Amino acid sequence: MNAIEVHDLSKSYGKVRALSGISLEVENGEIFGLIGPDGAGKTTLFRILTTLLLADEGSASVNGLDVKKDYAAIRRQIGYMPGRFSLYQDLSVEENLEFFATVFGTTVEENYDVIKDIYSQIEPFKERRAGALSGGMKQKLALSCALVHKPSVLFLDEPTTGVDAVSRKDFWNMLARIKASGVTVFVSTPYMDEASLCDRVALIMHGKIIDSGTPAGIVAKYPYTLLSAKGTPMYPLLKYLRGKEGVINCFSFGAEHHLAIDSSVTDARKILSDMTEAGFKDCDVHRISPGIEDCFMNLAGENVRK
Amino acid sequence: MWKYLIEKEFKQFFRDPMLPRIVIVFPVIMMLVFPFAANMEVRNINLVVVDNDRTDVSAELIEKCTESGYFRLKKVCSDPREAQAMMDKNTVDAILTIEQGFSRSIVTGESFPVGIKVNTVNGTKGSIGSQYLSNCIMLFMQSRTDTPAVTQAQGETIEASPKYMYNPYMDYKVFMVPALIVIAVTMVTGFFPALNIVGEKEAGTIEQMNVSPISKTAFIVCKMIPYWVITFFMLGMCLLIAWLVFGYVCKGSLWGVVLFTVLHIMVTAGLGLLISNYSDNAQQAMFIMMFFVLIFMLMSGVFTPVSSMPEWAQIITYANPLRYYADAMRSIFLKGSSIADVWQDAAGLLAIGGGALTWAICSYRKTS
Repeated sequence: MNAIEVHDLSKSYGKVRALSGISLEVENGEIFGLIGPDGAGKTTLFRILTTLLLADEGSASVNGLDVKKDYAAIRRQIGYMPGRFSLYQDLSVEENLEFFATVFGTTVEENYDVIKDIYSQIEPFKERRAGALSGGMKQKLALSCALVHKPSVLFLDEPTTGVDAVSRKDFWNMLARIKASGVTVFVSTPYMDEASLCDRVALIMHGKIIDSGTPAGIVAKYPYTLLSAKGTPMYPLLKYLRGKEGVINCFSFGAEHHLAIDSSVTDARKILSDMTEAGFKDCDVHRISPGIEDCFMNLAGENVRK
Repeated sequence: MWKYLIEKEFKQFFRDPMLPRIVIVFPVIMMLVFPFAANMEVRNINLVVVDNDRTDVSAELIEKCTESGYFRLKKVCSDPREAQAMMDKNTVDAILTIEQGFSRSIVTGESFPVGIKVNTVNGTKGSIGSQYLSNCIMLFMQSRTDTPAVTQAQGETIEASPKYMYNPYMDYKVFMVPALIVIAVTMVTGFFPALNIVGEKEAGTIEQMNVSPISKTAFIVCKMIPYWVITFFMLGMCLLIAWLVFGYVCKGSLWGVVLFTVLHIMVTAGLGLLISNYSDNAQQAMFIMMFFVLIFMLMSGVFTPVSSMPEWAQIITYANPLRYYADAMRSIFLKGSSIADVWQDAAGLLAIGGGALTWAICSYRKTS
């Protein structure tokens, strides 16, 4: 039995279709990443799976329990950390933890081993009110509160949004340890670079899953040769490259452009010489291996074209 | 678990920088300031007398009126037009006209012409002023003759409302004290829990509670219990102030007061919950509540008697829980009515409270 199973799930808010026919499976004991931009439907899916929202169509189950029928049983087995910090700011660190333990009918002592790793880092500040904690500490507290009742599936909705790079790394290390203790982790993120830290991922856009599998598997499926091109001025170069023969798509990635090419029509050397000829300065073109973001952009583009 | 939930609410309440102070300061200010400030007693009514009689008797009448302390004699003149001009300029509020032959008719006992004209731009001052004035004349007549005098007021005819019957000295403070308790209880039980629930909505903590096994009903009830405790603390404080400062004690049974407060809490809890269901943030909740509380207060008979409202407005007041609560509190506090005397008020509160709670619970389930 899979930890999470979703079949043809749809949900609309009025005319806006937040989810249309989503299906996915999360295996026991893995870190599964739901990756997609803002507004892709990630939070809606989380809210359905955590029994906060009812789907219009389709079915979903957590630990084999139906999200509609067995919501009460599911609530006892899952931990949920919403994207926004939502603990009691006017209660202290310790009081928050105790409160959430009590609400789930357990005590902090009973499950201390589950949260020890994370909670020990904020324990020196246990008298402090949650509202006065720094962002990173708030997140650790929220994670402790979501874990205090020993859930078997942990739902983390965009846990790293608005967190600095070091804390993000820290956080993923914690997730790895949580996973090692046997908890299934279902996490959503808008950051493509976090995909490689998951065991498996699903890419979501406009309420549809556009691809899923292991990060390596998704990258391996990338169908084109990928080049990175640099040159000034940037924006005219992007337009120039998009108009070139043999270029399938071209997106701007920070200081460079990534372009997918049809290798039977053109290659890196030809594009470089054409760029220099067209008057662009500081030109450089070389072949790169695609990342998840390249795959996402490509798949998203295909999806829009369809 | 319930114990812990209630404990949490109390902790949050006492940690709030404002709430505990408001609960103490609000009723104290209400009880100590409002009875004096929200005073319907009218003093310093500026009076001009048109005295065409100019006899000892008429002078005595004028003296009688001014020594009551309610009137300030501005001028005694003989031209009615001059007096009218003074009223037009707003320098006087009332004109007392004593016609020629006043002293003679007193002796013969015939009817005699005394005119009262009042400025009713300020309606309360005018109507109450004319009432005082005619009372003064009446008293004067009674002291002069043994036959009851008949006065003819040219100004507003006064419709005495029943409230004066149980408060013959028109001591507005007595009348206001139970009403202020009503307002304080309504504010605390209506506003605080609703704002608290909306606050949890805003903070997102309600989501965290919704994914927990705890039932929503338990969560909400635990949220309200501390405010009920606080309400009774406040009620006690108000009654204590009424007794210590004003020397008023509840004439009826205190259990009656408690019973009606419990019924009223049921109503405000239902309404507060209802409002918090339909609002997403504190501003919305606050404005909706302001709207209702203002209407409830103005149409409850707390400030103006229901019986002097037009018929259609009186019908609307039947849907107002404050009307029943205020009426019951006044009856018990001032008249010493028993619960059986005010059973209609209890029925009204029960009906409205039951309706509001049912609606609130239904709409609460739907939003989840």
